[in-house]
This record gives sequence, structure tokens and C-alpha cells, in this order.
Amino acid sequence: MLLATIKKDLQLLLRDRGALISLFLLPVVFIAVFGAFFSGDNDGDRRAIAVWAADTPRTRAVVTALEGSQLFEVERVASAEAARAAVAADRVSAAVILPADFDPAAGRPGELAIDEALAPQVRLPVQGALQAIVHYAVFPPALGADLPVLVAATPPGIQRALRDVDAFQLSVPGNAVLFGFFLALTVGLAFAEERRWGTWRRILAAPVPRATVLLAKLVPYGLVGLAQFAFLFGLGAGVFGMRVGGSLLALVVLTVAVVTCAVALGLAIAALGGSEKRMGSVGSVSLLIMGLLGGAMVPRAIMPPLLKTVGLAVPHGWALDGYFTLLVRDGASLADVLPQIGAILGFAAVFAAFGVWRFRFER
Amino acid sequence: MVAAVAGSNLLSLRGLGKDYGERVAVEAVDLDVAAGTIFGLLGPTGAGKTTTISMIAGVVTPSRGNATVGGHAVAAGRAGFAARRAVGLVPQELALYEELTADQNLAFFGRLYGLDRATLADRTDWALGVVGLVERRRDAVSTYSGGMKRRLNIAAGMLHRPALLVLDEPTVGVDPQSRRHIFDTIRALRDGGMTVLYTSHYMEEVAELCDRVAIMDGGEVVALGSIAELVARHAGAPILELELAGDAAALLAARALAARHGAVEGTGPLLRLPRPAQLGPLLVDVETAGATVVRVTVASAGLESVFLTLTGRSLRD
Ligand SMILES: Nc1ncnc2c1ncn2[C@@H]1O[C@H](COP(=O)(O)OP(=O)(O)OP(=O)(O)O)[C@@H](O)[C@H]1O
Ligand SMILES: [Mg+2]
Repeated sequence: MLLATIKKDLQLLLRDRGALISLFLLPVVFIAVFGAFFSGDNDGDRRAIAVWAADTPRTRAVVTALEGSQLFEVERVASAEAARAAVAADRVSAAVILPADFDPAAGRPGELAIDEALAPQVRLPVQGALQAIVHYAVFPPALGADLPVLVAATPPGIQRALRDVDAFQLSVPGNAVLFGFFLALTVGLAFAEERRWGTWRRILAAPVPRATVLLAKLVPYGLVGLAQFAFLFGLGAGVFGMRVGGSLLALVVLTVAVVTCAVALGLAIAALGGSEKRMGSVGSVSLLIMGLLGGAMVPRAIMPPLLKTVGLAVPHGWALDGYFTLLVRDGASLADVLPQIGAILGFAAVFAAFGVWRFRFER
Repeated sequence: MVAAVAGSNLLSLRGLGKDYGERVAVEAVDLDVAAGTIFGLLGPTGAGKTTTISMIAGVVTPSRGNATVGGHAVAAGRAGFAARRAVGLVPQELALYEELTADQNLAFFGRLYGLDRATLADRTDWALGVVGLVERRRDAVSTYSGGMKRRLNIAAGMLHRPALLVLDEPTVGVDPQSRRHIFDTIRALRDGGMTVLYTSHYMEEVAELCDRVAIMDGGEVVALGSIAELVARHAGAPILELELAGDAAALLAARALAARHGAVEGTGPLLRLPRPAQLGPLLVDVETAGATVVRVTVASAGLESVFLTLTGRSLRD
């Protein structure tokens, strides 16, 4: 019965092009787009700035400091106008313009050409770094000019991060989790279709325990979910060069928990019933919102504190915390993601309990 | 398979009923179906036919009463497995996976009944042969005609060779040729020892096919017996058929007046009158309405007149 159902549901799924696209193809497109989109910021590419300075000892010191900082790609231009034009044309992020009478101590600062409408996340770091470099060059400290004042170090308790996190380490798990949970919708719809086709009556008439009927209907979709994650992570690692810093075993265990949770959510959706149309619209919007809150599209790490906490109210948030740990942190093990796995299985238990309680075989 | 002992009852219903909330779908049905016969369940739409056979098939849990098939109680869980194996259900609505082939459909339904690979192959050949779909077995069901789908629907219900084959209006929307084929199939199965429970709201079908008939109306069995018995018992008076003529308004008025005498609508310009004693007053009213009666015929007493006498309504809606 179990094998027969698995075979039959897989045969049906292979003929359902819509489901295949949304489970396998769409996430690949999203991974590629999001990954490429964020790659520019994370590759360690330095931002370009333009500099024009009249030739005085003071301005020379500043330009030397800017070039020596290694924080920016410095482009010397021929005039103040050319510097401003470079910013306006978006060729550079900002321009530093230092006239001949440049003397901050006398109340004559230079000009920082920058689009003040830029998002603060982009504008403030650039502006802050330039201010600091120029300040340092104009007012050199009396002592220890070349001594580092701050050194970056990861505190104990946080696993050592891979040297540079690449965008695909965010976009692959993000979209895998987002679209992985869409499996719940496929499961809910599979029950609704079985009723619409009338085949549900035949299944109920057969000498098969009803608990087995439920289980047999869920197992094939669990297998499809595992295949989906294996496909997306495999593609991420093989094609997009996503690295895995932690334990592969832990990755597998976490994925089994996530897929179990998605299938249990599917049973809950099926138990809620409603028309296929409503299931499709309400279900997909809910799953998108859950994905958004859980950080599948925008990482929770850069969300404001309140939203960050809200993300833990959906399994997606825990799943992504787990994946992030396993992908980014060197040597992360199963033990490091046990809390996340526990939370996800907790969600799965709640969904399954609700599903079993509310599911109606006869309607 | 439950051995069909001729003369004994294969199916017995005692006080079987079902409520959906406030609505009583089936009141309390008592019924016995002899092994090796074709039994007809006749009734208008909403009579409770599907609900009754759904309870027999174990698809719907009864609110009251009980049912046995081949001596096995219809029940939930493992206790009911023997009865479930003895029943083959052919649902009213097509119950097939359209995207799969006939072979794939039958493989799945056969596995539901625990048929092993070899048996399944045999039974699939047999069932497809009986319904005449062998050549199309590897085509997706979605490419079948309506009649072919109906035939596959039947094949799926008989794959495990049930002692009792339950067919719920299997000829709805079927061309005459496919209907012929379905009837021949059902008779062949009966001759092979299968007992058949057949629901319909077509009088002629039941009259042609069935050995015994129960007429259902409003969730109750209102008459039970062989067709000859029912006609003798309930269709005492013949039905008169009156053909009317006149303009639309006159016909409308005539029909309204005629209804007071127990006349019911027939097809086209026909009126049917189950109470011949009312003919005199009815003729007066028809003429008052400005219409004329151009012909009066006496319809032969059949199941239709039984139904009309019992319920005061025509079977066809
Ligand atoms: N699942 C259900 N929920 C509520 N009411 C139902 C349900 N199934 C059937 N009924 C009601 O029970 C009554 C009998 O329905 P049933 O389907 O058994 O009639 P039927 O004789 O098979 O009619 P038809 O010839 O149209 O198929 C109807 O009034 C119907 O509305
Ligand atoms: Mg019906």
C-alpha cells in the first residue's frame, strides 16, 4: 500500500509541471538572482571614490592617507566638476574635493560629494570612513600614529566564521527553505485533488486502515522534499560555489527535520480543508509571509530587533539559523544546531497534532 | 472472494441510516439482496441512493443500523476488512487518475486490495478485457471518451473480484453503445456468480437489468420486490397521457389547473394523470383555460406508474 501510493503519487507529480516548476525550478532562479545581486557587496570589492585636490602639503597628506587606507578604490580626476560628475553618473560612491584653501582648523572644510538620498546602510559607512581618514590625516595624533587602535576578533562562544561569507551561502538556504515549505501547499492540494477526483472514495472503500491512508499520502511528498533540498544544495555547492563550513551529517539531519515540518504543515492545511482555490491563494500568501518573517528573502541578521524576534515564531527562522550556522561557521557540528532542530520538530509536532485532530476522512 | 451461495442473502441492511447535521439523508433502510442476482436501487435525485451504498462500501460511517456482506459486518478499522474485500465500489462520479494510464490506475487500485504482482497482472488483463479497453490500456485516461472512462471506472471496482459489485448510476452521460456494453458486462458478471447492486433513476434500465428492485424516496425505501410484484401491487390503475394543444398562455393555465387533479408534467405537450377518475373534471378545466385535449392514451403500467402512485411525482425530476 505504502509503495503503491508512493509510486502513484510520484507518477502524478512527474506529470504536474506546475508543481515541479515551483518546487525545483523557481528556487534555482531565485538563488541565482539573489546570489548574483548581493555578490557585489560581499565579494570584498572595494568601493570606488573620486578625488580632486589642489596641490598643497595639507591636501597631499590627505590624498596619501586615502590611497594608503586600502578601504577605497581611489580615482584621481582632473577637476572638482569631474569629481561631482563621477558621483552624479554613479561611477563612484562618493568624491572628495579639496580646494587650495583647504584648512579645517581654520573653518574651511573640503567637500564630500555624495548622494544624500542613498540608503543609510550604504551612505553612512562610506561617509564615516572618509571622515575618519581625512580627520586622521589633517590632525595626526602626537604619539603612536602607526599603531592599530582596534583589531577585529570573534569572541569565544561564536564559531570562527569562514573568512568571507559569500552571497550564495545566504541565497541557497534562504530559497531552499522558502520553496521547501511550499511543499506543504502541494501536500494540502494533493488531498483536495484526491477528493475532487473521487479516488478518495475508492481509497476509503479499500481494506486499508485510515491511519495508513494518511501516512501513505504523506510519505511520497516527504521524499520529494528531500530530493528538492538535495537538488538545491547540490546545485548551490556544485554550480554556484556555495561552501559548507560545518558538518554534512548535521546538514542532513536538519534537512530531514525541515522536510518533516513542511509535510506536517501540509497535513494541517489539508485538515483545514476549504476549496483548492482558497488553499492556493491563502496558502501561498501565508507561506510567503512566513518565509519573509523567517528571513528567507532578507536575512534576519540585518532586521530590526523586534522583527528578528518575530522570525522565531515561524519554523523558517529556526531553519535558516541552523543552515547559516552549518554553512558559514567552520567546524559547526550537529550539537551546534540541536536547538534549531528541536524547535523545528516542535513545530512539526504541533502541525501534525492539529492535522490529525481536525482531518476529516468523510465530508 | 466470498462464495456466493445461491438463494442466501449476500447483503443485509438493518435500520441503516445517515444524518448530516439536521438533514436526514437516509432514514432507516432494511434490505436483503440474494446472492447471484442483480438488485436495483431506484429513486429520484436526492433519494439517498449514493449515501446508502456509500455506507455499504464503508466510505460513509452510518449514524444508525448495520450492514453485513457475506456475513461480515461492515465496520470501521480492521474489523470491517472482510466486508470491504467483499465489496467492489463503482462510484457515481468518475474516480480515476486522469493523468495516469489505465494500467497505472488499475495497478494502484489493485494494490489497495493487496493483490500481488502476478494476480494483479491477471486481473488487469481480465478486467480490461471485460470492459473492452485492452487496446487503450497504455494511454492516459484523459485521452479517453466519456464512455471509455465509465468503463474503466467499472473495471477499477471489480479488479479484486468482489462478491458484491456496487454500481452507482454507471451509465450517466454515456452513449447508447457504451451503455449496451456496460449492461452486457454486468450480466456477464452476474452469470459468473457476482452479485450486483445497481442504482439508477432510469426506469427502463432497472426494468431491463434487475431481478429485484427497491424504490427509494426521501431517504426511505417506499417499495420492494420483483418488478412484476411491484407493478401488480402498486400500479393498480393505469396512467392516462393527455396531449394538449393551444397557445402558450393557454397551455400554461391548463397545466396549472390540471395540477389540482394530481396531473404531472410529461414530456413536450403531454400531461400524465395517475388518477383516471379525475379525467372528467380535468377536461373541463383544460377547456376553461382555452386549451384542448387532442389525444388521450393509456400508458402501460410499469415501474414509472408504481413510482408515480407511491410518491405522486414523476421519477425524472
Ligand atoms: N456529504 C454530505 N453532506 C451533507 N448532505 C449530504 C451529503 N451527502 C449527501 N447529502 C444529502 O443526502 C441526501 C441524499 O443524497 P444522495 O447523494 O444519497 O442522493 P442520491 O439518491 O444518490 O441522488 P442522485 O440521484 O442525485 O445521485 C441529499 O439530500 C443530499 O443533499
Ligand atoms: Mg447518487
